[in-house]
Amino acid sequence: MNRPLIAAVLLVGAVAWAANESTALDEKTKALVEGQLPEDPARPLVQGKCLLCHTSEYVTQQRLTEGQWQRTVEKMRKFGTPASDEEAKTMVAYLARNWTPDLPPPRPVRAPLPPGSVPSK
Amino acid sequence: MEREGFCVGHAPEQPMTLDRRRFLKSSLAGAAAAGWWLNVPSLARAKGREELIRMTERPPNFESVRSTFTTRITPIERFYLRNHFDIPTVEVASWRLKIRGLVEKPLSLSLPDLQRMPQATVEAVLQCAGNGRALFTPHVPGVQWRFGAMGSAEWTGVRLKDVLALARPKQDAAFVQVQGAERPTMDTTPQFIRAIPLAKALHADTLVALKMNGEPLVPNRGRPARLIVPGWVGDDWVRALVDVEVRSDEPKTFYYDTAYRFPAAPGAPGAAIPADQMKPMTKVNVKSLLGSLSDGDVLRPGIQQLTGVAFSGEAGIDRVELSFDGGKSWTPAQLEGPAMPYGFRVFRHAWKAAEGSHEIACRATDTTGATQPEAPVWNPGGYLHNAIDRVRVQVRS
Repeated sequence: MNRPLIAAVLLVGAVAWAANESTALDEKTKALVEGQLPEDPARPLVQGKCLLCHTSEYVTQQRLTEGQWQRTVEKMRKFGTPASDEEAKTMVAYLARNWTPDLPPPRPVRAPLPPGSVPSK
Repeated sequence: MEREGFCVGHAPEQPMTLDRRRFLKSSLAGAAAAGWWLNVPSLARAKGREELIRMTERPPNFESVRSTFTTRITPIERFYLRNHFDIPTVEVASWRLKIRGLVEKPLSLSLPDLQRMPQATVEAVLQCAGNGRALFTPHVPGVQWRFGAMGSAEWTGVRLKDVLALARPKQDAAFVQVQGAERPTMDTTPQFIRAIPLAKALHADTLVALKMNGEPLVPNRGRPARLIVPGWVGDDWVRALVDVEVRSDEPKTFYYDTAYRFPAAPGAPGAAIPADQMKPMTKVNVKSLLGSLSDGDVLRPGIQQLTGVAFSGEAGIDRVELSFDGGKSWTPAQLEGPAMPYGFRVFRHAWKAAEGSHEIACRATDTTGATQPEAPVWNPGGYLHNAIDRVRVQVRS
């Protein structure tokens, strides 16, 4: 294999890798903006601890710094969510890694009001 | 980002306009076809007018779409919904409102007891203190309301002062603590308890309301009775009111002593504020919102009728001005009716729209001279956002 060919193969590989990375990033951002909880070892923790009292939009609409996430998780522990120090640390890292201040705003979801909101005609 | 406008030139998948629906209803009035037409979702998407923006499913938090804000009274089906906890199930027959604490005669009142007392009606805006939280920089945690956590309704019920008069507050009474029937999922979570000073509780316009826009309250609006604290933030407007405790001091509970507090003096955006410099929120501040347009709307050149609402706590609205040149010049809008406290005052302006991109700003000034700022007062709770409203649209033929 000559040197130009190796260079070409490397270049093609790098372009493909970069394209793949940027697509992956876009897909990930898109999923976050649409309110999904990304797959992660911490995901079941968030589902188990946070979603006892509220649905996941309480998490996915936030755009916070690590310090703000830390304080939020501490507040929720005071409110009674049963999380150990280690679990709280894992959750804060997951939350701070995904729902960052620079993430685009959540996509508004239109929906009818729940039953009991409007007098029956 | 904001794509819920209902005006000329919007994308075809968006719901039809209220005006168009009203037109269809009236033009087909009496014809069986009207009901059929409006009930076929694929044709009418009539339910679209009842859709709000779902912020959270449980507990239910929904904000009104911008196009809601073109009328003095907000219809119940378009009115926002805010909850800290799951909505309680209240058996009206066994429901009682307890009046206790520093009173000569503790009371337990049923719904018929309240219905037999003199009834009063007050038109007032209910606004979540966090309305506009999403618009703060830097971001703050909480439900990310943008502009639709507000609405104005006609509330009918018993004056709280008449209820308190029956119980006869003692000499040292200074605050009235209030709580509804809702409870947190976990016993360890603080209960939602608020308090208002006795003077506001005794104001003739503070009500224990039984009706909203003439209809008996439905469960999510506080059946059978809710507090109405005109001009003050929504946190005090407790639903399914069950407990009124007359006190000499303020409660030390989380939702009064820690949350729902506002800095006594403004600080730098993002800065921490010591707890002793945070005061309980009371009055809502002056605000206006353009309702007939949304960001990204495409309009045709020519006269465009702009409509919106303005309000300011316990004051009336003196003027609303619009700017089409980034705030260099301001044009007064026409105002409906007289300046009144508590409610929405509708404003209108016939705008001669020329081709191009435009940013329309609106700014209200109340009868005390208070006006909307360029930027909101940043605070860690993201409360009382009232910066000048701005909407960006395109005009092309």
